[in-house]
Amino acid sequence: MIELTPDAKRRFDEYLQRMRVSLRGSRSIEADEVEQNVIEHVEVALAGAPSPIGPERLGTVLEQLGPPERWLPDDDRPFWRKAMDRVMTGPDDWRLAYGSLALTLLMVITLPIGGALLLLPAFLMSRAYVALMEERGEPLGARKWLILPPIVFVLVLLCAGALLAPAGAFGAILSEVGIRDLGFDYNTRFERGRLFLGALSVAAGAWWIVLSGVFAMLMRPFRALFAPVTSGLKRGHALVLTIAGVVVAALGAVLLFAF
Amino acid sequence: MQMSDTFFVNWTTQLRKGLLELAILNTLGAGPLYGYDIVRRLGDVDSLVINEGTVYPILSRLRNERYVESYIEESSSGPPRKYYRLTTRGREELRRMNEHWTSLHGAIGQLRKEGGR
Repeated sequence: MIELTPDAKRRFDEYLQRMRVSLRGSRSIEADEVEQNVIEHVEVALAGAPSPIGPERLGTVLEQLGPPERWLPDDDRPFWRKAMDRVMTGPDDWRLAYGSLALTLLMVITLPIGGALLLLPAFLMSRAYVALMEERGEPLGARKWLILPPIVFVLVLLCAGALLAPAGAFGAILSEVGIRDLGFDYNTRFERGRLFLGALSVAAGAWWIVLSGVFAMLMRPFRALFAPVTSGLKRGHALVLTIAGVVVAALGAVLLFAF
Repeated sequence: MQMSDTFFVNWTTQLRKGLLELAILNTLGAGPLYGYDIVRRLGDVDSLVINEGTVYPILSRLRNERYVESYIEESSSGPPRKYYRLTTRGREELRRMNEHWTSLHGAIGQLRKEGGR
């Protein structure tokens, strides 16, 4: 038996612990047998060394043995370890794509306890993946399906917020102003509904016309930010929003003034 | 590291993984050996074993698949050692693997000759 200093013993115990963890779950390998062989290996390798053996001397032997995490061939590793290793040690493009998917799934599972906060890091990982592929000049490949969900979530939230929230607020203010200051006198529920819907449509239409101008000006960064979902966007799409704004505002005006 | 270096490193890693079992079985072809001795002998083959520890899980798997068997023997220079030796099944499998390797080696040699390399 070799004699180790307390530091060396601690280091050896840690190494064996890492080894047991890395071999856990393997169907065809017995961790006890491997551990026994490794202990024997270290004892034989250090048999002639003066006692007690320190961490540096032990470290040389452990370095030659290599990190236990790399000992198992792929087909011997359980599926969850393969997946985890792929995310932790794989190439950046794999890590980013799987990391983004993992965060998105975690976000969905933990939604009731504030999981929505994970949307931002998931979105950033997806963006980083897209940027990396663009930098390399490579297509996104099948992994695009892993990175799309957070991009779509953020895009939908942003669009819904930008299109509807200001319009709703302006519409509410406008209908209030209409009743109070412009002399509308609607006493029935139907008339109040007409006033509110008309005001909302006018406000939404006007806001969309303004928004389409902003959208046209910021088209390039918007397209880049939400690629590949928005890659096909052109300035013409801003015009569609302008036309929609004009139509909706006109319908609102009809509702307000044509009866 | 350049792209071609990465490719070469990945290729040699895969090749090494595939050949290590053949090398271990061949090492045991000459007679029983204990783990450390197997590792030392494989270490003499250039670039075959980068992490010496990889040999031990393979030995365990080969034993589980009954290609090798182990036994403990007292040592005059230290604690008892665990020796490994080929089983009849292991010897037969080694013969098949060596035949396949020879055939593959020959075929690659032929391809190299045809390619002028």
